[in-house]
Amino acid sequence: MHLPRRQFLTQASAGLASTLLAGLLGSVPGCVPARSAMRGQLRGAGAKLGHLLREPHKIPAPTHTQEVDVVIVGGGVSGLAARRELHRLAPSLRTLLLELEPEVGGNAAAGHNARTAYPWGAHYLPLPDERDHDLLAFLEEAGILTGYAPSGLPIYDETALCHDPAERLLLHGHWQPGLVPEAGVPAADRAEIARFLAEVERLRRTTGPDGRDLFRLPLDLSSANTTVRQLDQQSMADWLAAHGYRSEYLRWYLDYSYRDDFGVPAAQVSAWAGLHYFAARKGRAHNAPADAVLTWPSGNHHLADNLRRLGGPGRIWPNAVAFGLQEGADGRVEVLAYDGVTQQSTRIRTRQVVLATPWHVSKHLLPAPTAALAPLHAPWLVANLTVDGYPGGPGQPLCWDNVRYGSPALGYIDAEHQALRGFEPDEPRSLTFYWALPTDPGNPAAARRHAYASTYHDWLTLVLTELDLMHPGLAARVQAAELWVWGHGMVAPTPGYVWGPARQQARQPHLGGRVHLAHTDLSGVSVFEEAFHQGLRAARAIVQGAAAS
Amino acid sequence: MGEGSLLTRRRRARAAASAPAEGAPRPALLLGSVAVIATCGLLYELIAGTLASYLLGDSVTQFSTVIGVYLFSMGVGSWLSRYLGGQLLRWFIRLEILVGLVGGASAPLLFGLFAHVGSFRVLLYGLVGLLGALVGLEIPLLLRILQGRLAFKELVARVFTFDYVGSLLAAVIFPLVLVPRLGLVRTALLFGALNVVVAGVSLLSFDETKPYRRRYLGAIALALLALGAGVVGAERIQRYAEGEVFQDTVIYAQSTPYQRLVLTGNHRGELRLFLNGNLQFNSADEYRYHEALVHPAMQDRPRARQILVLGGGDGLAVRELLKYPQVQRIRLIDLDPAMTKLFKSNQLLRELNHNSLHSPKVEIHNADAYAWLRQDTTRYDVVLVDFPDPGNYSIGKLYTTAFYQTLRQRLRPGGLVVVQATSPYIARRAYWCVVHTMAASGFSPVPYHAYVPSFGEWGYVLAQAQPGTWRPDGGPLPAGLRYTTPKVIGQMRAFPPDMSEIPTDVNQLNNQALVRYFEEEWGPYGNG
Repeated sequence: MHLPRRQFLTQASAGLASTLLAGLLGSVPGCVPARSAMRGQLRGAGAKLGHLLREPHKIPAPTHTQEVDVVIVGGGVSGLAARRELHRLAPSLRTLLLELEPEVGGNAAAGHNARTAYPWGAHYLPLPDERDHDLLAFLEEAGILTGYAPSGLPIYDETALCHDPAERLLLHGHWQPGLVPEAGVPAADRAEIARFLAEVERLRRTTGPDGRDLFRLPLDLSSANTTVRQLDQQSMADWLAAHGYRSEYLRWYLDYSYRDDFGVPAAQVSAWAGLHYFAARKGRAHNAPADAVLTWPSGNHHLADNLRRLGGPGRIWPNAVAFGLQEGADGRVEVLAYDGVTQQSTRIRTRQVVLATPWHVSKHLLPAPTAALAPLHAPWLVANLTVDGYPGGPGQPLCWDNVRYGSPALGYIDAEHQALRGFEPDEPRSLTFYWALPTDPGNPAAARRHAYASTYHDWLTLVLTELDLMHPGLAARVQAAELWVWGHGMVAPTPGYVWGPARQQARQPHLGGRVHLAHTDLSGVSVFEEAFHQGLRAARAIVQGAAAS
Repeated sequence: MGEGSLLTRRRRARAAASAPAEGAPRPALLLGSVAVIATCGLLYELIAGTLASYLLGDSVTQFSTVIGVYLFSMGVGSWLSRYLGGQLLRWFIRLEILVGLVGGASAPLLFGLFAHVGSFRVLLYGLVGLLGALVGLEIPLLLRILQGRLAFKELVARVFTFDYVGSLLAAVIFPLVLVPRLGLVRTALLFGALNVVVAGVSLLSFDETKPYRRRYLGAIALALLALGAGVVGAERIQRYAEGEVFQDTVIYAQSTPYQRLVLTGNHRGELRLFLNGNLQFNSADEYRYHEALVHPAMQDRPRARQILVLGGGDGLAVRELLKYPQVQRIRLIDLDPAMTKLFKSNQLLRELNHNSLHSPKVEIHNADAYAWLRQDTTRYDVVLVDFPDPGNYSIGKLYTTAFYQTLRQRLRPGGLVVVQATSPYIARRAYWCVVHTMAASGFSPVPYHAYVPSFGEWGYVLAQAQPGTWRPDGGPLPAGLRYTTPKVIGQMRAFPPDMSEIPTDVNQLNNQALVRYFEEEWGPYGNG
């Protein structure tokens, strides 16, 4: 589709762009090229099928009946981890996993173009805490952890460790190695950044009076010390102000980090979560430094796919939405499922249920949701661009993670960074952009409505403008752009969320201990480790319950 | 060059003496033309001789044979002039256009086709012969045109005076002005245009040309246009030939999707191959590099049958491997099809690699070595790794523990790998980093080095999959080696203090330590 630039900008600004562009970029861009030959489309996480939950009268009554031992609702990392753990501990249990999307993976979704796989969401795992034996065992089973050195430290598959060079930051017109601002940063700011990093390093090594680490993953293993937990009551921005951190460079770096993991900046993150982000990283490896990460071309879909693969023969039912959950006869639970392809509903009788869905879905399904949990999910934009040209620039060459200082977006990942082959100098590149869209915590639905109402071209304008700011002229060489908008990205650990009473209440089992919840909404931090342990907790509760009865 | 021009004159004098006479107007103009065509004629000869010695080396032989063929052909031309009758001026104009086109195109043709023709010498001598015959026609024809106007003794005296003056001019300006300023290609094109201009001036100066003037003016304009286009097209070759980048003359240049291939030659007959500006080999001493790469490993594995060569699309390592009759199959993996094609097709390069890439034992795959290795299932007795130096992160991946572990799985029990590993003198940390990386990948490395004058001290790592039995005198060496003996192999193992082992990091995908060492150490040399 070819539009003259003027007309295009007029159209673009008529929609969402007028609000978003001005807010996100500070000014309306004047450098977005015409894109007559660009391919691509806008996707989203099964919102249409999922939103059927709001109108259950539109769903046909069940015409089939099935019986299994455990129904898992939701094929994200929590659900897949629960499925694998059930298979591991009780292989005789018949499981059935219902997944809204055509494929499992949840936030760890991945796409594929002619060149490479690329992530649609979560895309890396920091080296896990070596005490996290459950996670290490999974990684070993998946072939990612290849053994242990005599020192006891794990050895990881070298090809999965993020290859060097890993990160670069466009700062003052120059690409510097690493994301912590350094090049041309005034000494006072550098000193403040160093002071902050030293402080989180101190916290990282500190244990509380109860003998537990102050900060740890999964976060429920962190110290229960009340002084520390009180940090959850204030925002990270307030904590920074109270501790004399004023450097713009530091504040940008922290906002960037929290937007990257939580979808919101320091002002909307609790101080406990903001410090946990840095102080809970305790990974060690024999063959990599502590700050290394594991990553794959398809991102964390690689992990999700291994969880699926190791989850036994239980059926995975895609394009299926669970729209009812009720007490059945003989102490069973009935799950009502609608198949978006056959457009028929099925009544599934089961002993146990794992509800591995976000809270806004679980809330609809549970007969009597008791908790006043209100997780904030920022909407996300992920864009995969095929660019006919090398994204170079002055300084550090193309890295895995490429970020522009001061940008409202989160930069892009080179999807082929982990490829084990050479590249022709002019070979097209596959770049995945991430953008956590600003959200008003008082009215998160507004941002989501905006997100759903925006068109492919609205989003493309944003992404190409950002690309052009990072690499002038490269926007004209975009061959294809696939976009994905996540209406509900990941949970933000807003003040009071992690250690408030609602989260503890929400994770209690329902229907007489037959419905177990597993989702990072119940952690407050949406990272792979949390999701994995959410799944394990639910699966173990089921297996222990079965053993007891 | 001196003896060449002298011979030319004698030969030409004899040809002229036998020419018959005819009438023609405006002798002064035609005598001026003599000076111009004489300059052009000698220049073509000099260009062909110089070019041949660049492309083929051995300047004495090349000059001698090119001049011989050229003069003989001039004689043929002189003899053929007797068959030209009728309108002699018209013949002269035709001849000048033709000489201009052939002479002008000679240098660009020879450069352009050097890499693409099966037998370069046939092209060279064919072109020299054609040009000589055409030039040989010129003076007899002019003598006949001027015959009616001047007394015989005047005619002979003046024609040859202008002829020799023109030759002197050519002999002086060729080395002093033309080669350094214009280069061979543009010189040829420029003087080709001068021949065409002579045709034009003759056409416009004589009334008798009126009936065919329009048609011939068109032909002359087209010829000038073609030569002008040649000048523009020659820019690319010239840019390199002018010595801004390379000290020698560029005889072949090609940009492939992967790299820029440039082959240079000089009057000593040394061929040099540059990939992206980095010297790959110099034909004068490449035998040292390739003998050192191949024989320390092969002499100790007299039963080696399956060989894998990664990189090395020039076929020079393969040439050394083929000296072992027990070798049954050599699989060569080189990324760039243009590279293997060049070394399979070009005559000079085939002489250099002894036609090794055509051996029935050799199997060539143009593929990315890492990607190829990961899907390969064959096991090899010996693997030679001849990659470019680790000057960027992309190539750096081919020197990591991950790569060497993949490589190790491709070895038979008792198998050996040899890796070229940059200079232990200039890039000491980079070299020992490769050694330590191979050790960390489960190999028992044997570091060694050789002196290659074009490169300086050069490092290799021989690595055994199992702790080793390797010996510098493990078995017999092939006959006829110029560098390698058991004693020399033993000496290769000795590292003097200025390049002896130092501690380094191990090169992994997630630290790329080697690329950093390499950049730091080669950086001051502007290389890499």
